[in-house]
Amino acid sequence: MILALETSCDETAAALVTDDGAVRANVVSSQADLHARYGGVVPEVASRRHLELVVPVVREALREANAELGDVSRVAVTRGPGLIGALLIGLAAAKAVAWARRVPLVPVDHLQGHVASLYLGEDALEPPFVCLLASGGHTLLLDVRERGAATVLGTTLDDAAGEAFDKGARLLGLGYPGGAAIDALARSGDPDAFAFPVARLPGLDFSFSGLKTALLYTVRALPQEELERRRADLAASYQRAIVRALVERARAAAERTRADTVAVVGGVAANSELRGALPGAVLAPLDLCTDNAAMIASAARYAEPVPYPDYLGLDAYA
Amino acid sequence: MLILAFDTATDVATSALVWDGEVLGELRSRAVTLLEDVDALLRRGGLRDSQLEGIAVGTGPGSFTGLRIGLATARALSFALDAPVAGVSTLDALAAGAPGATPVIDARRREVFTLVDGDPRVLPPAELDLVAGSVCVGDGAVRYRDVLSAAGASVPPDESDAHVPLARFHALLARDFGPAEQVEPVYLRVPDADRTLEA
Ligand SMILES: [Zn+2]
Repeated sequence: MILALETSCDETAAALVTDDGAVRANVVSSQADLHARYGGVVPEVASRRHLELVVPVVREALREANAELGDVSRVAVTRGPGLIGALLIGLAAAKAVAWARRVPLVPVDHLQGHVASLYLGEDALEPPFVCLLASGGHTLLLDVRERGAATVLGTTLDDAAGEAFDKGARLLGLGYPGGAAIDALARSGDPDAFAFPVARLPGLDFSFSGLKTALLYTVRALPQEELERRRADLAASYQRAIVRALVERARAAAERTRADTVAVVGGVAANSELRGALPGAVLAPLDLCTDNAAMIASAARYAEPVPYPDYLGLDAYA
Repeated sequence: MLILAFDTATDVATSALVWDGEVLGELRSRAVTLLEDVDALLRRGGLRDSQLEGIAVGTGPGSFTGLRIGLATARALSFALDAPVAGVSTLDALAAGAPGATPVIDARRREVFTLVDGDPRVLPPAELDLVAGSVCVGDGAVRYRDVLSAAGASVPPDESDAHVPLARFHALLARDFGPAEQVEPVYLRVPDADRTLEA
């Protein structure tokens, strides 16, 4: 069984996954409430919380799986990318547990982890496919030919899609995290009410800064009372523009690579409009969209384990 | 009692293996390579980690990230090895290595961590309560040698061991070994974001 830890951003997570990809426990302690008052993730606040939670989530995962440390044959951990101070806490704890049991450590790339959220459970996805990874930290199009490897086809040149949702939510006076708030409000709004631009870039890259600016100017130009009244329309139109950009690029990537399958992973994959706009696409299960450790354990099944004692000096990367 | 002690609150991560007050081995490196040292200490001592009876960890104050690496390591080791943990102030460990001296740890932002009437405090180096003949030790004392000397204190040479919180002192000072989660880091500063929020 693989024990995995994930502390790259604001979720402290531990999971137990069997060697053939069955999730025995997937514990995520979200800090979203903690960071809501700041309107975004504060690295120092996140790191302090990770330290409090890192051992409790492991304990909880073992309890849920009805397992003990003796059942663990490998320890997997997110090595990067992410908040460096946050990553180092998960890495320190993972190294210590692996060392105490003298089992190998599998350092996992967080992005490979998101892709690997598709390889768990009964209907695990088989490559090749094109993967759209959209989250608060990343927006990537990946050409996945085999498990454990991916080629980047396109990425964002400025904000990540999830960041665009968060910033838009802030402009609209909605809460954090912004994706869920906009998604909820947009349901009662008209997505065609405002024509927000979708950046036209050559290739398969994304850009969301122009869209964000367009929203800012629109919000500024509206009188307070009208802004109140049209908030749902703004949310719906803004969301439509982000989703359109993601869908267009994902389709173009599939065409270019002649892939039959498009898959969507990452926190933004939970967005209801995006889920509806890509019929036929494989969507990561909702509970595996946001950061979690089950996906890290899943990726560890296709990554090289580092034997004892070679991992003891391992560093994280931002 | 076989104690594994370490401190990662300053740039020099220290570790030691101490058996009933006798130092079996002592190493220093950086926080991210702490476990390499721990592993080496046990192998050289011909000991198994299951023989550890207690873990003594430096609780700072010092570098927030370094401090957390040490505490995360201590808590995870305690969990995996079922060994109790005791926290020891990094300032107390420094003071134990240089009896009579004032421990001074670099706190960045032109401030230092020190002990005032036995309690940890953060303040500008010029505000340290020093008299002629005072001795200051620690990486803060090295960094602010000029300021401290001008106030009448003396600072041992830069390369002196007195500036390093040697983990043997954590092992010697450790009391009340207990549940790891009760050993908390000493930050002495709230996150900047909280300060902005309050302002
Ligand atoms: Zn993520």
